[in-house]
This record gives sequence, C-alpha cells and structure tokens, in this order.
Amino acid sequence: MGGNMDQEWKKGSAELLILSLLEDQPRHGYDIGKLIESRSGGKLRFHTASLYPLLYRLESRGWIQGRWIEKPNHRRRRYYRLTSQGEKTLARQRQSWREFIGAVSRITGVEHA
Amino acid sequence: MQLAESRGSNMPEWKSEIRKRLAALNFPPAREQEIVEELSDHLENLYEEIVAEGATPENASREVLSSLIHSDLLAELRATERNAPPEPIPAGLENAGRLFGGFGQDLRYAARMLRKTPGFTAVAVLTLALGIGANTAVFTIINTLLLNPLPVEHASQLVAVNTAVAKSTPGPVDLRPISFLNLKDYREKNRAFSSLAGYSSPTALTISTGPESQRVFAEVVTGNYFDTLGIRPLMGRFFLPEEDATQGANPVVVVGYAAWQGRFGGASDILGRSIKLNNIAFTIIGVAPQGFKGINAIFGPDMWVPSMMAERVLPTQQHNALVDRSILVFTGAGHLKSGVSLSQAQADMKTIGVALEKEYPDANQGQTVTLQPLTQAALAANQRQGLLFGSVLLMAIVGFVLLIACSNVANLLLARAAARRQEIAVRMALGASRWRLVRQLLTESVLLGLLSGILGFFFGYEGCQLLWSFRPAEVALNFVDPHLNANVFVFVLVVALFTGLIFGIGPALRSSRTPIAETLKEEARTAGRSVRSITLANALLVGQVAVSLVLLVTAALFLRSVQREYTIDPGFATKNLALLLLYPSQQGYDRTKTEQFYKDVRDRLVTIPGVASLSWATNLPFWQGAETGMVIEGQEQRRKSEAISSVVNTIDLDYFSTMGIPLLAGRDFTQDDRGGATLVAIVNDTMASQYWPGQDALGKRLQLPGQKEFRQIVGIVKTSNYQTLGEAPQSCVYVPLRQNYSESIVLYVRTERNPVQIISALTSEIRNIDPALPIDDIRTGTKLIEQALWGAKIGVGLLGVFGFLALGLASIGLYGIMAYSVNQRRREIGIRMALGAGQASVLSLILRQGMTLVICGVGLGLTFSMLLGRVLSRFLYGVGAIDLPSLAGASLILLFVAVIACYFPARSASHVDPLVALHES
Repeated sequence: MGGNMDQEWKKGSAELLILSLLEDQPRHGYDIGKLIESRSGGKLRFHTASLYPLLYRLESRGWIQGRWIEKPNHRRRRYYRLTSQGEKTLARQRQSWREFIGAVSRITGVEHA
Repeated sequence: MQLAESRGSNMPEWKSEIRKRLAALNFPPAREQEIVEELSDHLENLYEEIVAEGATPENASREVLSSLIHSDLLAELRATERNAPPEPIPAGLENAGRLFGGFGQDLRYAARMLRKTPGFTAVAVLTLALGIGANTAVFTIINTLLLNPLPVEHASQLVAVNTAVAKSTPGPVDLRPISFLNLKDYREKNRAFSSLAGYSSPTALTISTGPESQRVFAEVVTGNYFDTLGIRPLMGRFFLPEEDATQGANPVVVVGYAAWQGRFGGASDILGRSIKLNNIAFTIIGVAPQGFKGINAIFGPDMWVPSMMAERVLPTQQHNALVDRSILVFTGAGHLKSGVSLSQAQADMKTIGVALEKEYPDANQGQTVTLQPLTQAALAANQRQGLLFGSVLLMAIVGFVLLIACSNVANLLLARAAARRQEIAVRMALGASRWRLVRQLLTESVLLGLLSGILGFFFGYEGCQLLWSFRPAEVALNFVDPHLNANVFVFVLVVALFTGLIFGIGPALRSSRTPIAETLKEEARTAGRSVRSITLANALLVGQVAVSLVLLVTAALFLRSVQREYTIDPGFATKNLALLLLYPSQQGYDRTKTEQFYKDVRDRLVTIPGVASLSWATNLPFWQGAETGMVIEGQEQRRKSEAISSVVNTIDLDYFSTMGIPLLAGRDFTQDDRGGATLVAIVNDTMASQYWPGQDALGKRLQLPGQKEFRQIVGIVKTSNYQTLGEAPQSCVYVPLRQNYSESIVLYVRTERNPVQIISALTSEIRNIDPALPIDDIRTGTKLIEQALWGAKIGVGLLGVFGFLALGLASIGLYGIMAYSVNQRRREIGIRMALGAGQASVLSLILRQGMTLVICGVGLGLTFSMLLGRVLSRFLYGVGAIDLPSLAGASLILLFVAVIACYFPARSASHVDPLVALHES
C-alpha cells in the first residue's frame, strides 16, 4: 500500500505537513522537501513539480510568506515563514486532524475488537 | 560550497530548462524570474545530492529533470497563480487572449447575475421559450414539408421528368406522369442521365396476412428506383435488374420502415415473408430506411413493387400501363451525369420527346416532356402554393409572438436596470468603459436567449408531436414524419441569439448612459425609472397590444372563413349519405364475377330498412382530378392547341337521385344503356355552356380520353364540387357503368336517417355476399366535408393557439408594467389618499392610465388589421376584408383581458396605506 498511501496522505495533509514544518523556523523549499522525506522515514515524498505550486498556493492564501535571504557562502534562497493567519490555520487543521484520527481509530478499534 | 568542484561542464543549465517549461504560462516577467530562480536552486541541490551518492553526472541530470515532468507542473502552477492577485493591466494593452478571457469573465458574471434573481430569470426564460417554441414548431413543419423533403443522396443531381400537356386555360403547365413505354424510350435514348427510374403515385391495395384484410398503399417503381435515388436498404435488399425484366414473373416487395413497424410489429424475420397483395402472394425482400417515404413530401406508400407487377397492382383502367403509351402512370426520376446541367438535360429529353410525338402521334400528340428538380416534384404545384402561403403566414405570426415575448423581457430588463443603476454607476466610476458595460449586459441577454432556446426547442418539439397527433388516423403511417435535423438546430440557435440581442440591446445602451455622479448620490431605495424609460416601456406595451390584436383578428378571420366553408353547398346532399370503398377486383374477381357482385349488392342492400337508394360510382368526392384529352365532335382541331380537360365519372343507375344532384335537361341513364346499345353520356351544365355556348348540348357527341368511340349526350345535370370544396365550377362527364366497366369503385348509400345507425347492417349484408372482402373504409357525407376541411381546420387551430399565446404574453406584459408603475408611485398615491382621495378614485386613476395605453394599442391594431385584411381577403371564403364580427370580437376579448391585467395592480394601489407609503419615503 506504500505508493497508494503516499498519494492519499499527500492529498489530505500536505498543507498540514508544510505548515507544521514552518512552525518553529523559516525554511526553504528544498529543506521542506528533505525534512518531509527524512522524518517520514522515506514514506512520504514531494516532487519538485508539486511542492512549489503548493507553497505558492499557501503563500497566495496568506498562510505563509516567502522572502529572499542571502547567507554568506550560499546562493540567494527563498525562505518561507508562517504568518499569523497561517498559525491560526495550523491550529485549526491540527485540531480537526486529531479529531479525524481519533474518529478513525475509534471505528477501526471497535471493528478489530 | 563544498560541492563546487563536482559541478562539471555537463551539468544542464537549469534556468533555461525551467524557463522553457514556464513559457506557456505567460507569467509577468518579475514573477517568472522568481519562480525560475527558486526552482533552479532546488534542482541544483537535488543534482548535487544525487551526484554525491555516486551517480554519474549524466544519470543525475536525467533524474533531476524527470522530477520536473513527474506531475503536471504547468497545470499546478496555473491553478495556483490564478488565485494570486491580478497584475494591473497596462492601459491600451489588450491582446487577443485578454479579450477572450474577458468574455469568459462576462459569461461567468452573467450566469451569477441570473442565478441571483431566479424569479426574473424564470419568467424571462419561460416567456422567451414560448416564443421560440412557437417558432421552432412552425419552422419544423416548413423544414419537413418545404425545405428538406427528400432524404436522398445528391438531391441536387436528381431531376423529375413529367409529361407536360398543353392546356386551354392559362396558368401553370399541367404536369402528368409518363407512359411506361415512353419512359423506356427516354431511358434508352437520353444522354443526360446516368440512370433514369420511374415511380407511380401511391395506389391502394388490399393486403391479407391471414384471414384479415387491410388497405395499404404501394408505389409501382422501376427496378433501378432506389439505386437512382442513392438509397440503401435498412434490411435485406432492393430490386435486382432481373426481377424487373419479365411481366408478372417476380412478385417481390420492399416494405417501408413505418409499415414494417406499424403493420408487421417490427418483426425481425420480416425478410422472406409472404404477404398477399390483391390476392397475389408477394415475397418481402427488403425494408427501406427510416425516414424514406417516397418522393412526395406529405404522403408516402407503405411498400414498393417492381414495375413488371404493374398489371396486378394498378387499378383496372391502368392494367395495360406496360403496353399502352396513352396510359400515363410513371413519373421519371433521373440522376444527372456529372457536368450535365438541368437545361442541357431538358434539351436532350425534348429532342427525344419530339421524335416520340412523331413516331406515336395517337398517344403523344400535344404532349412534351418537362424536367424540374426532384425536390420540387415532392409537392404538386398547388400543394406548394398552399403550403407556402400557410408557412409565410404562420412564420409571420410566430415572429410577432416572439417579438411580443422579446418586448416583455425588454421591459423586465428595463425595470431591472433601474434597480441596477447603482451597481452600473459604481462600475463606471471604477473605470469600466461604456462598450465594456454594454458587452457585459448583452452577454447576460444572450445567455438568457440561449437558455430560452434550449427550453423553446423542447416546447417546439413537443408542439410538433402534438400537431402530428392530429393527422388523420387512417393514413398516419403514410404521413411524413417531422424532420428534426441540423436545419432546425441552426434555426433555433440563430433565433435564440438574435432574440437575446433584440431584447437586450435597448436596455443595455440605455443603462450604459447612466449619469454616474447623480446616481451615486441617489439613495438606492428610491432609485426609479427615468421618464424616458417609462415612455419606452409604454411604447413597447402599445405595440404589444396592437400586435396581439392583429394576430387575434387574423385567427378570427380564418375561423369565420372555415365556418363559412362548412356551409358551402358541394352540389350534392351530404346529410344521410354513406360511402363504402370496396375493391372486389383486389380479391381476385374477374369481370363477370365483379359485375355479378355489383348486382348482388344493389339487389340485397336496397331491401335493408332505412336505405332510400344506392348506386356505384368510380369517383370519391374531393379526390378526383380532371382528365385531359377529351375530343368533342366538330371541335377536333382543339385537341392540337388546347386539350379539353374534364372530370370523368363512371356511374351506375340511380346515381343522381342517390347523390341528390338535380337533372337539368334530358334523361338519366336507364337499364337500356348497356353494351351494344348507343354509347351515351351525361354532362354537367358547366361543360354544356363552355363547349356548346348558346346551343343545346343534348344530342351532341364527345369522345372520352383514350377512347375511340363517340358518345351521345343524353342529359345535363347541375355542377357540383369534384376536386375541392368550394372550387370554381369545372366540367364533368358521367358515363354509365354498363358501358364503361370499371373495378375500383365506391358504393353510395342514401339513407332515411343518420347513416351511422345502419352501417353495420350494410357491412354484414356485404359479408354475406363475400366474407373475405375488406370493408374498412366507410365514410359518411359529413365526414367527407370534415376531411375536405381538415387542413384548413388545422391551420385555424394553429392561428388560434398563436393568437391566444400572443394575447397571454401581452397581458402578462401589461400586468408587469402596471404593477411596476404602481409600486413606483406608492408615495404619490399615498399623498393623494392623505389629501382625501378615496379608494375608488385611485382605482379609476390607475385603471384609466393602463387602459389609455391599451386603447391606443387597440386603435393601432385595428388599423393594421384592416390593412392586413385586404391582403388576406383573397385567401378567405365568404369573409370580407373588413369583417366587423372578427374585429369587434377580437377587440372585446383583448379589452376584457386587459382590464383584468390592469385591475389587480390598480386594486393594490387603492389599498395603499397613506401613512406607510409616506413613511417609506
């Protein structure tokens, strides 16, 4: 179910994943992609062609904001940070995610009992 | 940068790769630059990582690039960027894409506006759909009967070939069929046609499948008929050349689609079945495709038989059709060779015709050959004229109905535009150009028009189905089906688009002239219509009333005309008359047996109580055309220049007393007028005065068409109607059955009371004589008149329906504008009432205001009606150009409906509470 799960997760939760990763610090796109891959143990992976459009969409909704930052010895990079609106959205999405997971596990738990 | 040294020269230039992929999106340059930079950074990181893991540079760049095409980057980006705030449009820069994009925006906006006001949208769409539906129905009829009557391939290359007979009276040439032998010569000698076929008109046959018999119609056609037309069978096959080579050898038949469905229940094993036609076993070899019902545009056969079976199928008088050049049965249908024009073909055929006239002068003298496009042959000239007149009239009427619907919707739009003044002013203040606004408003009306077109199409379709359900049941299968083809779709589309433009353009232009500053200062609630827009609405209303009145008067005129036609004296007594159509020869009777049958029926039926008298005759009233080729003794030279034409009826004894036709001079036929005795005839007074003016016709002699002997005139009877009800008097010659044997014949029974009561006694007595003889066609005299007026009645019905549709739409419009104006004047009415005006005076004020408009409309309408009446009067029977009952009746109906439409808004005005009304403002 690996590939399939990958697809489904991404559809439902990609926004939540990105918002969560930006919660503690601003990150650039490549970094976000790598983190999702490594923290999910390679189960979740974003392709370039879907990651950036998603970032732009979040940005146009005003949940995240991109800024070009130049660090010494590095190329100019665009770092994304969570806006206050994004923080509220993250809190709301987390809450409904928790409820969803809870509901699913209650149902599946009962079924397995 | 730790990995700087691994960046080899063969690493792709990421930026250009990305730019290539983004080109189609047309991003603003700054935005594109950002995306390119960000993505290329990402790709470079990816590349470095893959190379660090030990991949060759080539493999690494391939993998990196594949991540770009992995999913649809373009679609993703496009969807994302659409939500982004738009860049400001530089002034004066409108490329094609933007213009088109603007149209999509207009359309979306229009759809949103229509959804926001569902009540308005529903009323407007319904109103327009009724108008468009009426137009669709009428156009479908025209499309079926006039425009596209031939479902054949290459219709433009098909030509009808007829005999033209020189006539004594001026007018269009009399077109007749061609004799079989002449057709054969034309076929062999012509150089114009790649193939030339022949077909007869539908002829009635008796079909027996088991013990039951039915009447069907068949066309006798040459073996190449279907090939010439380019028609392919739906099932089985058509005739083979060898099946149409030897007389009477191949009894095969092709069945039409409607007959297959209707008479054989669509049986899948129809092919190879044997059916008895006129008591001869025929084998069904094929089924014609759906929609092909022969060449005539209105009436088609159930089946086709090859010409070599003509003797078994055609009526007795035409039994020798295959060998006698004077028997004209077949209309030619030719397929022109490519590159040959109609006039070239005409010249070619004329040459052959002249040779044939020289070679066979007895049969062909005074006749020429004439060609016309086959599509024109689909309707006889008089049918075409009648239909054309009816179509033009109906099309004009439904056009007016649509105009009324349009003006109703225009009024609604004007009212709505008043409510939208604020919105429009805001948009103009924000910089929308006038053209842009007009375009937006027109998009809304065109969208309304298109929605109405869809609904109207269904109304029209259902209307046609309803109309078609009124066709006479006995020939329902033979009646042409309505053609709903591309013509109709295109027509509806164009009408819907134009409708949208017509009712939309006035209100749109007016709205776009909204004065911005004043409107923005107005309170939205008090935004009202300007004096000018009320004037426009009133003008539209007066026009609607006038047009509805004209339509109602037209319907009334034709209704009165048909009523008068019922009182036309056809020249014979229709009351207490029964007609039975019997075809003994089709049961395989020979002449002796048939003559015995005639005698038996006479002797036995006359004894039935309630039967006053009875007689046999070959002609059915209102079905008999005149025959040409009569010769009058002493006037033989007429034949060369102008043939004498006359109706010929073969009758038995007592015919005139049974029909109630008075004998004016001489004597009736008697027992002694039999074979071997002097040949005799009786003529009508029209013929007597036309050919023997100022002389006594009695004792004069004449020759029937195709006969060699002269007959002596022994009696003169009064002229009656032969071909159509109320026709101009035409000549008729009667000859005695005993001297002119005929098989296809009608039994006329004069009864003492309502014939319906004794029909069963008549039929059971005939069954006693021969149980197998089909008696399925019995008509009464009154039904004959009904049938003769069927077309006119349908026409009047349509006129009435459209007249009342117009009246209904106009009264809805009247109600709408009155209700609106009352609403606008609540404050004024409130003040009037506060100052002491009573309810009654307010009621009469509003009624007076509305009815003034209506009366203006009625006056205008009456003027137009009287002008139109002059044009229509030549199509009316017994009704003058200025028919007071029609004018008065239509005006009264309209005024009555108008009073009702005005009364309700007026009543609501008189109930205005002065306090509330003043407070509101």
